[in-house]
Amino acid sequence: MSLQGLKKRKSEVLISVSPMGWLFIFFVIPTFLVIAMAFRSADPYGGIGEQWTLNTLKDLRNPNYPLIIWRTVWLSIISTAICILTAIPAAYYISRIKKKYQDIILLFIIVPFWINFLIRIFAWKVFLHPEGMFKQLLVTLHISGPDSLLLYRPEAVLVVIVYSYLPFALLPIYASAEKFDFHLMEAAYDLGAGRLQAFIRVFIPGIRQGLLTAIIVVFIPALGSYVIPDIVGGPSAEMIGNKIAQRTFIDRNLPHASALSAILAFAVIIPSALALTRRFFKEKNSGSLGI
Amino acid sequence: MKRSRFPFYMTIAILVFFYLPIVIVFTQSFNASRFGGTWKGFTFDWYFKLFSDKNIWHAFSNTLIIAFSSTAVSVVLGTLSAFALYKYKTKLQITHNILVYLPLVMPDILMGISLLLFFVSLKLELGLFTILLAHITFSISYVAMVVLGRFQDFDYSIFEAALDLGATWWTAVKKIMIPYLMPGIAAGGLLAFTLSLDDFVITFFVSGPDSTTLPLYIYSMMRHGSPSVINALSVIMVLFTFVVVFISKKLLEVKE
Amino acid sequence: MDDFLIFDGISKSFSNHKVLDNVSLTVKKGEIFSLLGPSGCGKTTLLRICAGLEEPDSGRIILNGEDITDLSPNKRQVNTVFQNYALFPNLSVFDNIAFGLRISGMKESGIKDEVYKYLEMIQLTDHARKKPDKLSGGQKQRVAIARALINKPKILLLDEPLAALDLKLRQRMLVDLDNIHDEVGITFLYVTHDQSEAMSLSDNIAVLNEGLVEQVGTPTQIYEAPRTSFVAAFIGDTNFFEGDVIEVNEPYSTLHIEDFTDVLVYNDKKIRKGDRVYLSIRPEKFTVTLQKPQLPESYNIVKGKVEEIIYLGYHTKYWVRVNEYLIETKRLHDRYMLDEKMITWGDEVWLSWHADYCYMLEQYNMEDEALLTLPDEEIMAEIESESGEDE
Repeated sequence: MSLQGLKKRKSEVLISVSPMGWLFIFFVIPTFLVIAMAFRSADPYGGIGEQWTLNTLKDLRNPNYPLIIWRTVWLSIISTAICILTAIPAAYYISRIKKKYQDIILLFIIVPFWINFLIRIFAWKVFLHPEGMFKQLLVTLHISGPDSLLLYRPEAVLVVIVYSYLPFALLPIYASAEKFDFHLMEAAYDLGAGRLQAFIRVFIPGIRQGLLTAIIVVFIPALGSYVIPDIVGGPSAEMIGNKIAQRTFIDRNLPHASALSAILAFAVIIPSALALTRRFFKEKNSGSLGI
Repeated sequence: MKRSRFPFYMTIAILVFFYLPIVIVFTQSFNASRFGGTWKGFTFDWYFKLFSDKNIWHAFSNTLIIAFSSTAVSVVLGTLSAFALYKYKTKLQITHNILVYLPLVMPDILMGISLLLFFVSLKLELGLFTILLAHITFSISYVAMVVLGRFQDFDYSIFEAALDLGATWWTAVKKIMIPYLMPGIAAGGLLAFTLSLDDFVITFFVSGPDSTTLPLYIYSMMRHGSPSVINALSVIMVLFTFVVVFISKKLLEVKE
Repeated sequence: MDDFLIFDGISKSFSNHKVLDNVSLTVKKGEIFSLLGPSGCGKTTLLRICAGLEEPDSGRIILNGEDITDLSPNKRQVNTVFQNYALFPNLSVFDNIAFGLRISGMKESGIKDEVYKYLEMIQLTDHARKKPDKLSGGQKQRVAIARALINKPKILLLDEPLAALDLKLRQRMLVDLDNIHDEVGITFLYVTHDQSEAMSLSDNIAVLNEGLVEQVGTPTQIYEAPRTSFVAAFIGDTNFFEGDVIEVNEPYSTLHIEDFTDVLVYNDKKIRKGDRVYLSIRPEKFTVTLQKPQLPESYNIVKGKVEEIIYLGYHTKYWVRVNEYLIETKRLHDRYMLDEKMITWGDEVWLSWHADYCYMLEQYNMEDEALLTLPDEEIMAEIESESGEDE
């Protein structure tokens, strides 16, 4: 390597070392720690045992867990599907109106999400509360009986997950739709495609990058939901997140909590790391910066 | 061809969906009834109760301390990170890139428990300091992404032009690159600040007995306190958020 | 003080791809020197090396007797007009132009006078307070030039300064640039891929191809006496012939060209009987007539058939088939008579040209024939330029 190359290398390392070092210490090490702890036993006083063991992982065969893991997965899949399916037509509509109105609608979409996360969920608790107005309205209209519950069931969790993550689906899909060349739709009509055909065969493939991002940013946080099922879901709507928190704070069984977390971590990290590496290489090949 | 009205209706439906619960919270905060099945008259009681609660102010000041200091540190680290990712395309930066992206996709609860285990094994006392470390950790990636976005449009030749016109490397960074990046750095900082204000889950895991932040306090009120007081608090926080966003927008406009 | 800027054996590679291969050039004080070549020929890299934005792998750069190879860009008395202007978006036009003076620590009062002097020169005094994004392309270009010139560089580097402008503006800026050069008298090093820009502006041109200097000379030398087949084909149009010397005489020798005819050529190079020789003959050197012309012996005459005609108003291009050769010729309409019989497709015609017009190349590379325009490409180019796409 030439002297200049070495100099360049030195400044690169100098610049990268502090953010990378920070993330290594406070992100990478703790994540591996979680995985390691899954192989430790718990001591009865809420601490971590000295021995390495597989017993903690074996405990996960407890019939309770598969049920909760299964519920976590299907709630995440369905909420992701609902987010995507409602976001597509909305993004389509927003990207076709005048730029000025686009900005206004986007602002209206983002504004509620400046409100504290807990308070937004709490708003739903108030909204769905057995003594709340919405319930009263449903009873008056004879849609629901006076004894049925709106809160504390998986459907309530589903609605609130959709509420919380829909903007994160909407924004990337809108960003792709906004860049989409709508003349392609006209070309499709011209070639004999119907409205729906053009939508499915031209528009949807045209925004696939946004769709992919949307799926990732909804599905992954949904898998890790904790506060939402904690506040609007009952025992029949618990997810992995609730179990992790229970094992941590109530039972003080950190190895157990770690084992559950490790499962969740593997489910999240491996696919996203793969996607990222691919994207970085693509960017690198498609246009070097020439610096 | 006549356009389908369906996308329009869907957009309207989404907006109604987004605002409905908030409207309910607003009205309930003035309702004398505790759960508000029916309107029992207009009242400011909940607001008075809220303001007489000393603990809230303590939690609020904790929140602000954490938010300001974590923003300051993460803006510096995140900007450095964005600069390295923009400027160098080496194997080291591929690792760096993954390192920056992963915290973004990591569910909060995982980051919370992993940091808890980390602090526990280091025998660090849980409190404001551990919360600060956690907040910096999740903010770096967001700042880096926002600043990197601004970098993507940065024409490197304007930096070269400054060198060409006699500026040293550091002068060019100070006079040309940083002013250009400023909107991105400000936006990244604002994002880090709001994320820190907003965070509950991670804070919940790494907080100690004496380090209650506002979201933690809200959570305990939800569990044990009067819901109507939280309604009142929500309204105040919403208004506060609006004021902060409005002011920062104005400030950015003046700068432009 | 004749050799003002010297590139001495400059080589540069990017990830094992050799961009510049032992390039040596000298630029005289006060001239406009152009680096001309297709994209990827290394011309921009050479300019960036001169500015200090790239470091050469080997070789030296001498400016005004001083070796500047190892100087950082901010220490060189060299300024650049970047291809996309590279104006600082956060600074006004005034502050952009004042940038270099402020860096050098000049007093604010002196800066103001100086900047306004240059604003006047580029006729943008009214726009001093505007941000660059409020300017048109041509105005940005002028600001970029003023910003560089105000520092009184020893040499001004211009990297495809007109590439981003449309055709009309480009022509006007070309005149402006020439005027500015006359006014300031600074040496210009001008990088372009556009031969007409280089031809009309330069005192001297270096033609670069794949990291090598093909030829250095005045525009006339480059056009009329191309050293290599690349130069002949890249600048203007030409026809290549390959022949063997069968008779050496003074001043004209005879070549035998397979599948064509025996041709009389001027001895501008040392040749011996039996040598293989490559010729370049520009299209406008041919005269195309329907009747066999009566000409002195120093002329060549050959019979062919018109295969393609493109009428371009001020001239017409004919492609004439002579056995294996399809020869491009150009005829100016300096006189037009209604009753004259027009040459048309399929006509038998006579091509004639003087022996002086046959130019012997020093170096011939078959690949360069790809640079020659074929009739159908020419037609496409015409259609494109008519529909307003001038690149």
